Amino acid sequence: MVTKKVTVVNEQGVHMRPAGIIAKVVKEHPECEVTLIANGKEAKAKAPMQIMAACMKQGCEVEIVCNGADEQAVVDEIAALFESGFDE
Amino acid sequence: MRITDLLNVESIKLNATPKNKQEAIDELIDLQVKGGKIADREAYKEGILARETVSTTAVGEGIAIPHAKSDAVKAPSLAAITVPNGVDYEAMDGEPSTLLFMIAAPNDGDVHLEVLSRLMTMLMDEDFKNKLLSAKDKNEFLKIIDDTEKAKYPDETKAVVENDGRIRVLAVTACPTGIAHTYMAAEALENAGKKLGITVKAETNGSGGAKNVLTKEEIEACDGIIIAADKTVDMARFDGKRVIRTKVSDGIKIPKELIERIEKGDAPVYHHTGAKAADESTEGESFGRKLYKHLMNGVSNMLPFTVAGGIFIALAFLIDTIAGAPQDSSFGTYTALAAFFKNIGGYAFSFMIPVLAGYIGKSIADRPGFLVGLVGGFLATTGSTFANLAGEVPSGFLGALLAGFAGGYLMLGVEKLCDHMPKSLNGIKPVLIYPLVGLGMIAVLMCAVNPFMGMINVGVSNFLNNMGNTSKIVLGCILGGMMAIDMGGPFNKAAYVFGTAAIASSGYDIMAAVMIGGMVPPIAIALSTTFFKNRWTDEERKNGAVNYIMGLSFITEGAIPYAASDPIRVIPSCMVGAAVAGGLSMAFKCTLMAPHGGIFVFAVVGNWPLYVLSLAIGSLVSMVMLTLLKKKRTDA
Repeated sequence: MVTKKVTVVNEQGVHMRPAGIIAKVVKEHPECEVTLIANGKEAKAKAPMQIMAACMKQGCEVEIVCNGADEQAVVDEIAALFESGFDE
Repeated sequence: MRITDLLNVESIKLNATPKNKQEAIDELIDLQVKGGKIADREAYKEGILARETVSTTAVGEGIAIPHAKSDAVKAPSLAAITVPNGVDYEAMDGEPSTLLFMIAAPNDGDVHLEVLSRLMTMLMDEDFKNKLLSAKDKNEFLKIIDDTEKAKYPDETKAVVENDGRIRVLAVTACPTGIAHTYMAAEALENAGKKLGITVKAETNGSGGAKNVLTKEEIEACDGIIIAADKTVDMARFDGKRVIRTKVSDGIKIPKELIERIEKGDAPVYHHTGAKAADESTEGESFGRKLYKHLMNGVSNMLPFTVAGGIFIALAFLIDTIAGAPQDSSFGTYTALAAFFKNIGGYAFSFMIPVLAGYIGKSIADRPGFLVGLVGGFLATTGSTFANLAGEVPSGFLGALLAGFAGGYLMLGVEKLCDHMPKSLNGIKPVLIYPLVGLGMIAVLMCAVNPFMGMINVGVSNFLNNMGNTSKIVLGCILGGMMAIDMGGPFNKAAYVFGTAAIASSGYDIMAAVMIGGMVPPIAIALSTTFFKNRWTDEERKNGAVNYIMGLSFITEGAIPYAASDPIRVIPSCMVGAAVAGGLSMAFKCTLMAPHGGIFVFAVVGNWPLYVLSLAIGSLVSMVMLTLLKKKRTDA
């Protein structure tokens, strides 16, 4: 299991589009279970609804937890999404 | 923000049968328009469609949340339809959508993300979803949402129920200068209240008098009052209410805690005791802080005299310079116009020291202390002694401080002693006994100390006037630096009071160094946000331009938000630049007779071109240091 902490940088926070992007990336790695922890809530990252339910605003700290095949690569890929501000 | 606050019956349609995504969107938009929060239907629809082309808003599991942030939206609102047979909304998981919520959000604010999060949290509950789909009518649909929301967010519903529009927490904010801190604290308190769902009203006792004044009804109805003030405020009206008294900076730094303390009932009930202002200060307030508060009360009342008088006198010199008057003792009164300004300014100046002492006395002992301080201060300017009542050497600023403080505390003592007098005399105490005894005491005191204070005062003036150039430059550096350490706090005020005191004993170069030190920090920050954008956050950059105005108007407080967010880098940078500017101003022998005004008094600054140069150099130094010390931000 690997974890990584990131901060939400884009102004709009993790709204529907970023949540969809994250879920899409996670679904490309079915062998790796990805969980996002923010605001004391856990979200299965393959479910955009759960991601949105965690209400990650700009400046919010998010812990990415990956468990399974290619976990390091997956955690880096998702962290990069957060750091790029989902290209917003 | 609750879902049921955003969604009303007109904006719900059950058992809809749209044939496709387009029809579903049209139905939802019609419902939004019925809700009345959409200013421009077409513009809003454009936003919704634009959002759909980026990616579908059908998040799967039968849920779709089309949404748009748009200027066409007046206030956040929701619309909902249920489609029992499902509609193809191009969902992420390919399933038909049965439950559709449409969000309309204005362009500003982050209500949008909160609503989205809340909807998702509730819709993840399969049971909730099924109940909504089988709701018999619109009211039941709303009730299901309301019940679930209350269950999932119990704290908040309680707060909303309690918030009956009543103003629950009142605040009074005041700082000695009354330009920046007063308003920053008021805003911080009101914003913190908004976040907590508690209506807060803050009265600002600024330099322009009290604004947004609390009414008697509001005080009666409120849960408690927060006094965030560094000077005395009118307290009699809060008798019997819960009151927290604290520094103005706490209003800026910990507004949430203060409001929560009031709401928890964790504040003592205040009992007004009449004249004894000093006895009723904040519990646990240190003696030093009390002294500071009294001093600042005096200084803030003295400033208008200093400012107006100083500018008048400076104008007189300016007029005579233009008229080409000879540089002798008549300079400043050579032309009739100059003489007018010089004399009137001089009269205003002569009130400075008595007013300072008077308001220190008033701050300590309320009205009885005013006479004692005022007359004591006047005696300090005449320099009366027992040997020579007409006066010899004025004891000036120092004598006035002594008169104010000693007079105030003596008066408190007199009041205590008078407690033992027969009750029948109560009526004549404030009109006869206090003034009479007080006047006698302060007269004896001042005549006794004036010779000594006078010597000290003359000594200090001589010392400053005879100071070598090098030491003067050092003094300028220190004062300039002090202005930038805490930007409106005790260090800044100490340097500032020293500067105004120096005016009173004609050390005009000192005030010049002090003012320039206070102007550098905001200007440097403004320059840095303009030329080195990548060192600052969006918000900081946006507000950067305001700091040009703040700096040029000598409102050092403008730099506070920047210093607060990164003190280790920002404060030293500001201090160094301010010290350089202060030193240069001294080296160039710039003078200033007005203790405030920034660029608006530059016309009366002695040697102003070099003063401007000093300001520019100091600001550039600070800006370069800021640029070197602060890291580049990656998101810029």
